[in-house]
Amino acid sequence: MSEAPGRITPLEELVSAFEFEVMAKRKLDSLTHALVQAASRKPFERITLRPRVMVNTTKLDLTLELFGQRHFAPILIGPVSELKRFHPERELAMARGAAAAKALLVVSDHASSPLEQIAPLCTAGFWYQVYADTDPARTRKAVAAGAKAVVVTLTSGGMDWAAIDRLRVGVQAPVVLKGIMSADEARMAVGKGLGGIVVSNYVDGPSDGLAHPLEVLPAIAEAVAGKIPVLMDGGLQRGADMLKALALGASAVLIARPAVWGLAGYGADGVQRITEMLQTELARDMAMCGKPNLKVVDRSVVRVHKW
Amino acid sequence: MNRRESLRALGAFLAGSPLLSDLLPGQQDVVRDHSRVPGLKELLTAFDFETVAYAKQPREAYDYRAYGAEGEFTLRRNREAFDWVELIPKRVSSGAMDTSTEVLGTKMAFPLLVSPTAGHGEIHPEGELATHKGASAASGTPMILSNNTSFPFDKVAAAAPGPMWVQLYPKQQLDANRTYLEAAQMNGARAVVVTVDQQVSYYERALHDRNLNPGRGGGFRSAAGRVSTNSNPYRVGDNRLWYEWKFFDEIRPFVKVPLIAKGIVTPEDAKLCLEHGVDCVYVSNHGGRSLDYGPATLEVLPEIVDAVGGKAPVIFDSGIRRGTDILKALALGANAVCLGRVPLWGLGSFGAAGVQRVLEILQAELVQAMRYTGRTNLASIDRRMLLTNFP
Repeated sequence: MSEAPGRITPLEELVSAFEFEVMAKRKLDSLTHALVQAASRKPFERITLRPRVMVNTTKLDLTLELFGQRHFAPILIGPVSELKRFHPERELAMARGAAAAKALLVVSDHASSPLEQIAPLCTAGFWYQVYADTDPARTRKAVAAGAKAVVVTLTSGGMDWAAIDRLRVGVQAPVVLKGIMSADEARMAVGKGLGGIVVSNYVDGPSDGLAHPLEVLPAIAEAVAGKIPVLMDGGLQRGADMLKALALGASAVLIARPAVWGLAGYGADGVQRITEMLQTELARDMAMCGKPNLKVVDRSVVRVHKW
Repeated sequence: MNRRESLRALGAFLAGSPLLSDLLPGQQDVVRDHSRVPGLKELLTAFDFETVAYAKQPREAYDYRAYGAEGEFTLRRNREAFDWVELIPKRVSSGAMDTSTEVLGTKMAFPLLVSPTAGHGEIHPEGELATHKGASAASGTPMILSNNTSFPFDKVAAAAPGPMWVQLYPKQQLDANRTYLEAAQMNGARAVVVTVDQQVSYYERALHDRNLNPGRGGGFRSAAGRVSTNSNPYRVGDNRLWYEWKFFDEIRPFVKVPLIAKGIVTPEDAKLCLEHGVDCVYVSNHGGRSLDYGPATLEVLPEIVDAVGGKAPVIFDSGIRRGTDILKALALGANAVCLGRVPLWGLGSFGAAGVQRVLEILQAELVQAMRYTGRTNLASIDRRMLLTNFP
């Protein structure tokens, strides 16, 4: 970037998610920025797209249905706790930005704003994210407030299938397990009647040496065989990254860090803009691969190179 | 020394002082700011021409041609792919060197053409006229004239005797294609190249340099994807999304010369070309300017050649800078290769003479590479002369 250091570029001049990260870095103190530092590009650079020509893609349509709700695009905004760390308008700005971009927001149970204030702003819908030890009453309250699904983030250890069963008692919404990285656990989730899974390698600590979700996604998608939605997150920063995930079997993807970059730099407007930018990139890449809608996106869109 | 002379001496001293030049920004310092543009004879490889061309043309004209789509993964990969292929030297060969060939009825001394590129007038006052003169002088290298040329086909054709093909971006109004193609064929176009890629293009790096070229590409707003003239709600420009294979069937009646599809990077599309009466498959990713994260053209060339199975010639571009690059593409099955940026570097640096020289350098490098590998004609070039290690 040919900018003076420290300058915050006008929002309408930013051209990629990477530029949003630079702006977020200028706004945040270094420890806070480190929490949302951009992920490695390597997992995505091992896969190339396969452009196709002479396919009419005039009627580009990225919509999809998840748990009975129609979505504008397969890009949802993932859960991030305590957004007051990134912007004074916290979850309220995040919710407004997501809604303006017609994207669903997954609201963290550890939010810095009350759910009663966040929920009405989520006009494109919201899900609610909890942990195994979250008070079940809070989960039920979120569903009563309109959460269309409950996302349970799996942490390392201390969780068994019985605990997951207990979590679901009295919850009148699909429960999605976030953090699945193996076909075995994915099959188990289907067998237990869970609503969906998020393939994710998120851990609360150093994640060196862990497989990337993109590597295990094909086997998981095969095991699930379309019975429940398979979502993915982890370092998606380009429309091309998202198309690769969709081609390898994801129904939709979650973005968290990019949304936080938008929030940190520009509040609600930044969240809206970066989400729209990624929607546009994905739509453009689908057009260039001759895929005008999600139903026709399949393995033929990608070539997986040596890992 | 009188008073006037001493003041003059002091003035001269101050003018040469680095302190003053710091106080007066923009003032040239004869020592620190010394620069010299090399002469044509000093340039020995295609790469040498790029820096000279860069120095001699407006920055935005250079940027527009240099940059690739989005994050330029594919632009980089196009070059990287040549490192995945190695030539096996062979010491014994027989016969005199003959690099001549014929592609789609056009005879050429070397299996080399000038790719269609837009707006040569932006980088040299004589524009495509100079490019054609230079290409023609380089053993009659054929030139494919861009649909977005700065000079009309008849003027460029009249500027030099070398063969010319014409490139078309499909127009939704069928008659617009007819008018354009009939005029070009009347003026001597020996083949028609239809560009089918770049349905949506997005040059991000030119926009990064926002302080340098605020006007390019319709400004930041359109770049930021807020244009809403679209048939879709995702802010994707839709002026080329209508393309369909039947376009080739529709324009065939008014194309009396060979018809080529440019921008093919999959075997599936290569086969569809043949099904729709296309006479030649042009493997290209628009020099890394079409879909970012698409493959390098070299890594998909073998499977496309296999899919075409000799039923049509295959030509190739995107990333060629050296004679060895040409030989690698030929060995993987291309009948000829095209050069986009390389002749533009020649044009931008020394006009027609630069185009001629840079093409002759690549021709000489090709001959040398063929000698090293024991090949004296194009028919003897095949995959057995290579070690390939595509990822």
